[in-house]
Amino acid sequence: MQQNFSGMAALPRLAWRNLWRHRRRTLLLMLVVAYTTITTILFWGVQDGFTQSVQLGNARFLSAPALITTPQYFEDPDPEQGLPSLDFLARIQTQPGVNAAAPRLEFPTLIRSAYTADAAKARGVDPALEARVSNIPTAIAAGRMLEKPGEVVLGQQLAERLDVRLGERVVLDTSALAGPQALGLQVVGLVQSGIAPVDRGTVLVHLQDARLLTGLQTATGVALDVTRGQEARIAEALQLVLPQNIRAYDLTQLLGGLSSAIGTKQSSTFLIGMIFSLFAALAVTSTVLVSVLERTREFGMMGAIGMNPPRLATMVTLETVLATSIGWGVGLVLGYALNFWMATQNVLGPIFASYGAAWEILGTGGEIYTAQSPLYALYAALTIVLAAFFSILIPARRVLSLNPAEAMRTE
Amino acid sequence: MKLRLWLLSLLCLGLGSAATDPQAVLRAIVDNQRGGSVRATLTLSVTRPDRQTQYVLEVVSDGNERAVTWVKAPPREAGQAFLRVGDNIQLYNPTLKRVLRLPPSGRSDSFLGSDLSYSDLAGRDLEQDFTPSIGAETEGSITLELIPKPQAPTPYGKLVLQASKPGFVPREVLYYDQRGQAVRKITFAQFAQVGGRSFPTQTTVEDLLRPGHRTSVVYSNYRFGLAIPESCFTVRALEAGC
Repeated sequence: MQQNFSGMAALPRLAWRNLWRHRRRTLLLMLVVAYTTITTILFWGVQDGFTQSVQLGNARFLSAPALITTPQYFEDPDPEQGLPSLDFLARIQTQPGVNAAAPRLEFPTLIRSAYTADAAKARGVDPALEARVSNIPTAIAAGRMLEKPGEVVLGQQLAERLDVRLGERVVLDTSALAGPQALGLQVVGLVQSGIAPVDRGTVLVHLQDARLLTGLQTATGVALDVTRGQEARIAEALQLVLPQNIRAYDLTQLLGGLSSAIGTKQSSTFLIGMIFSLFAALAVTSTVLVSVLERTREFGMMGAIGMNPPRLATMVTLETVLATSIGWGVGLVLGYALNFWMATQNVLGPIFASYGAAWEILGTGGEIYTAQSPLYALYAALTIVLAAFFSILIPARRVLSLNPAEAMRTE
Repeated sequence: MKLRLWLLSLLCLGLGSAATDPQAVLRAIVDNQRGGSVRATLTLSVTRPDRQTQYVLEVVSDGNERAVTWVKAPPREAGQAFLRVGDNIQLYNPTLKRVLRLPPSGRSDSFLGSDLSYSDLAGRDLEQDFTPSIGAETEGSITLELIPKPQAPTPYGKLVLQASKPGFVPREVLYYDQRGQAVRKITFAQFAQVGGRSFPTQTTVEDLLRPGHRTSVVYSNYRFGLAIPESCFTVRALEAGC
């Protein structure tokens, strides 16, 4: 028993020594695994980073990380279904995880210039608070953010379509609680975010003007800035301090169709990742198989001096696991280093931007960073697991069926 | 010296009070355009570079905020009706047999394909939205410059209104964009004398940005100063008439 144990313990050492006896082949094996690991980490980093950019872009530009409104308004966004009161505002601002809260009054409007008109959704905001829950105020490319009633900030493309410039006047028509209303507002800022729906549809007006136009004296919702990644939990916790007929909606609920589209995309991406690892493992297996075929005489000799076929097969599998583990380790260091660089430098933004309007529709913005997660190491380890599995299935089985006498005669 | 200055000041004050009051002139011009309550037949001619379409409309108006319009011809459009009460516009579609409220997004849509929009039909008051000043004045005519008041619901930078004297009969309105370019012109002609007012029975609207785009509205069979029943300005009247 003791002899058997020491024999088994010697196997890893033997496998390790064998690896460096065939240095070129081993390096090739490690290179394949390292390359796969690097690409797997980058693949998931870019994938998750892009998804986060879409979600964040949409949350910060089109909606909010979380929004408090009535279920009626959530189902049918009409100012008539707006918040009955804003009394809860002071209470929710003190809740853990809530960084800022800004009331908003959104309403459909017809925006007119001297030349043409266009339908849009206007957002009445408190200029002092909006920058804390939205990125639009930081994306003003010309002019400035709203300061007082009588002013309007437009998306650059909307302004171009209406043919209005900074300092000129547009008219907003709407019909809500106050009946048909119209107001002339001066354009003070133009938004250029690189997000198509924002640049095409932004109409920011002062909350007071929105109240005047709609007749709603409160707001249609309260946009919240909450701790990133905690949106759902915080929205749920807020429910306890909100009045009964008001609800807090997190990012996923607010993005609706986009969130489910992202979910579907992620499951298909996982499949692509699996296929990726599968091919890498097959590449490793084929290299191991070739090495087994080349070393038939050597295995015959080892069998003749007392190493039985199961131990030979175990040694071959161990060699595979050791080589792929080293390759995985090297790949992890290089992959995570590269991913870290792309997570801190906007390397992908200009590349995606070069694809033009197709990407703008997704609402990513001009900055796209990779995501970081320890899970990527696990995904990359799948290659090793598969490589070990295939090497047991193919090269090791071949070694098992080896006849030492015949093998020794092999040239 | 002091006495001379005092006399000069008095003279200036006297001249100022004798000058034409632009607000009063604007009111007089608008009053001429209103004409009071009316029942009339309107011929709406829409001219485009490649075609011309003519509509016959029947209109009943209280001369202020309320009007109802029925389309009588051509047969393809007949049966449609429009009710305006202030800024509220409702449409009757004979095919659907339904009354629809005009949404905000539809207010800039062209009325029967003409150069008039539904917003024009809602007709916001020039006195309410603009500050007038006298541009030029001769013995027979006066030109008013109308600058939008802050937050007035007009996208135009300036309106120049020409009227003839005496009576301040409206002749022409030029709409300028905010860069000083004329974009639209309305011309008034063929005046009917109604209770001391000169009501223009022919109005032409020209789109100055698109040559060949013109709309003319001609009143005929008009009867002013009638008592219009309240039932005329109801949704029911759109289908049943009044």
